[in-house]
Amino acid sequence: MIPLELYILLASTMFTIGLYGLVTQKNGVKLMMCIELLLNSANINLVAFSAYQPNVNGQVFALFSIALAAAEAGVGFAILITLYRLYGTIDLDNIKAMRW
Amino acid sequence: MYADYAYLIVALPVLAFLLCLFLGWHLPRGGGFITVLATFGALLVSLGIFSETYPSEIIHQSMPWFANFNVGILIDPLALVMLLMVSFVVTLIHIYGNGYMNGDPGAARYFAEAALFSAAMLGLVYADNLLQLFIFWELVGLCSYLLIGFWYRKPSAAAAAKKAFLTTRVGDVLFLAGIILLYNNLASLNIALKPGEYLLQFPVIYAHLSEIPAAQLTLIALGLLGGAVGKSGQFPLHVWLPDAMEGPTTVSAMIHAATMVTAGVYLVARMFPLFYAAPYGLTAVAAVGAFTALFAATMGLTAFDIKRVLAFSTVSQLGFMMAGLGVGAAVGAVAVGVSMFHLIGHSFFKSLLFLCAGSVIHAVNTNDLREMGGVGKYMKWTMYTMLIGSLSLAGFPLFTGFFSKDEIIVIAYEYGTMINFLPYIFLVLAAVLTAIYTFRMWFSVFTGKERSNYAHHESPWVMLGPLVILAVFAFGFGWAGQDDFYSYLDSTFEHYDVDFVELSVIGGHEMLEAEHGASAAEGEHGVAPVEGGHGEAGEGEAGGEEAHGEPWYIQILPIFVAIGGILLAGLFYWDKIKKFDPSQVTGDKDPIRQMLLKGYYQHEIMTGWFAETIVYGTALICNMIDIKLVDGWLNWFSASVMGFAQHVRKVQTGIVQNYVTALVLGVVVLVVVITLAMEVGLV
Repeated sequence: MIPLELYILLASTMFTIGLYGLVTQKNGVKLMMCIELLLNSANINLVAFSAYQPNVNGQVFALFSIALAAAEAGVGFAILITLYRLYGTIDLDNIKAMRW
Repeated sequence: MYADYAYLIVALPVLAFLLCLFLGWHLPRGGGFITVLATFGALLVSLGIFSETYPSEIIHQSMPWFANFNVGILIDPLALVMLLMVSFVVTLIHIYGNGYMNGDPGAARYFAEAALFSAAMLGLVYADNLLQLFIFWELVGLCSYLLIGFWYRKPSAAAAAKKAFLTTRVGDVLFLAGIILLYNNLASLNIALKPGEYLLQFPVIYAHLSEIPAAQLTLIALGLLGGAVGKSGQFPLHVWLPDAMEGPTTVSAMIHAATMVTAGVYLVARMFPLFYAAPYGLTAVAAVGAFTALFAATMGLTAFDIKRVLAFSTVSQLGFMMAGLGVGAAVGAVAVGVSMFHLIGHSFFKSLLFLCAGSVIHAVNTNDLREMGGVGKYMKWTMYTMLIGSLSLAGFPLFTGFFSKDEIIVIAYEYGTMINFLPYIFLVLAAVLTAIYTFRMWFSVFTGKERSNYAHHESPWVMLGPLVILAVFAFGFGWAGQDDFYSYLDSTFEHYDVDFVELSVIGGHEMLEAEHGASAAEGEHGVAPVEGGHGEAGEGEAGGEEAHGEPWYIQILPIFVAIGGILLAGLFYWDKIKKFDPSQVTGDKDPIRQMLLKGYYQHEIMTGWFAETIVYGTALICNMIDIKLVDGWLNWFSASVMGFAQHVRKVQTGIVQNYVTALVLGVVVLVVVITLAMEVGLV
């Protein structure tokens, strides 16, 4: 059986990659992908802990989280499409409607 | 029974005000008949109350209002004669107004405002406490403002309205100061009030006058006198009254001759015990009144606007009434009756004169005496009714004005024998001038040749009717129970057990008499108010005076004054006996004539110098302080807050990555802090 530490290592690596992308990237679609990475790293943790502890609660939560991620992605892309129609770009540096 | 409906005296005109205001546009003639009916109803109720209470009852109703104040109705002889006069004269003027305002597009507004005025004036008269009186006092001032500026599109009318409002405001502030001072003094006495008694009620004030320090009484009296001076157009606040003639003539007759301007005199009469008790209180009243009487009469001599002549005459006659009250320092509460008699008589003949002038102006379409002349040929009714009014004003024997003015001059003489002859001399001179300017006006209007083209027609009967009724009163009122009138009014203060002997000690009147060696000092004060002085002797106006022992020439002097004045005016202005040409006696360049024409340069002094230099300069300094100092500090404070915010707002970059970074850094800091805390063992 694969040790639990490897799962946690994988999850933290994915989380760090997602966070790095979120802070550095300008493209809206890339940001959405980074957010997916963050959510999925959490899912991996949930499933791994649930497998090592004889208990299905974690897997149920992971399912919820996946459904939530789908909904979030739907809303997020809808916003991105609207932004594209308004500004002709999804480069977030150029979209400053919320500036002071 | 009528007393239960006393509130209707105010409620009916208020109802008429509301009806005319909201529905007047849809009614024929602006709903003027509603106003007439309302004031007529007030007159009927007043008459009913008079028949119930005469001669020795008073009506006092009151209910709590808020804190230490109440609203109430106090109908004593003093209030009742005013109620009757006001409702009667105002009803007639409203009837006349139905003809005069016919066809004016603002007729509904006129009748609404006139009804509100009637309500306020009647309310002022029978208020039972000073605060309520003050509220109605302000309300009549407001109506006066609205009605002077009735033709508000005319710049001069709008300016006159503003002037009237601001000038009377000076007096009103003093009045309010007097009320506050009086209230403070009464409150500090810790009076044990019975249920239903309130501090500012007149009976309570009368009862506790003697406990207030004399110096305070003088201050209060001067404050109240300030209010009266403003409202009654006395010097130096008289400047608004001649200008107020910009309003419709009915307004001049109603507000600026018969009713509102007498409110000042009424206030002094109402607070007479206070003025009597205050050292120098009545002296100030006498000085202001006597001076104004002469001062305004001289200006009436040269005015060319028929309404301004009458306005100056009103100021002068109000001065007579004030002086009549002021000389009460010598004769006691009798002065109230004498002064009120002149007030009532004056209301009749002066409103008559104004309405006649309105009738003439209606036909001739000008106010200028120089463009009239010969009007008498076409307006017989107006001419003769105005003649009656003029004779009465001039004090021609057997007319109302003769009895009333003569009486004031006689008590002024008594004052002279005891204290000071100046008021007497001023009043006699003013009486001569009164006769002259009155008949200068009458001769100029009705006799001689036509000096311009005007319509040759008499006014309609809706206007002539009130003239005839008023003429009857202007002639006959002086005969009708003068002695009863005095004794009735003298009984006013008996109802409140006002002890004039005690008050005269506070006021220092007895000392004055002792110095002048008047043997009857005790008798004057003690007996006259109680027994009703004049009424006792009973043999006409001269008989009452013999008790006080004026020489015969003092008593017949007014007769010669009146007739002499009229003849003198005739020599200048009546073509039948004309001997002199006024323009040759005094040329246009004559400095005295110029001074009188310009009204003693009051406009130049008050507006040109005082207002535009002193007041405007002060205003500029105040403005600077306000902008630089008061506003400056506030602006600096708000600007510094704004500047700080300008820097802080830069945090909101609008770039999502910055927000995420901040979030992550925040979490990191939180984790580090919590970890460290756990290491140390805090958590």
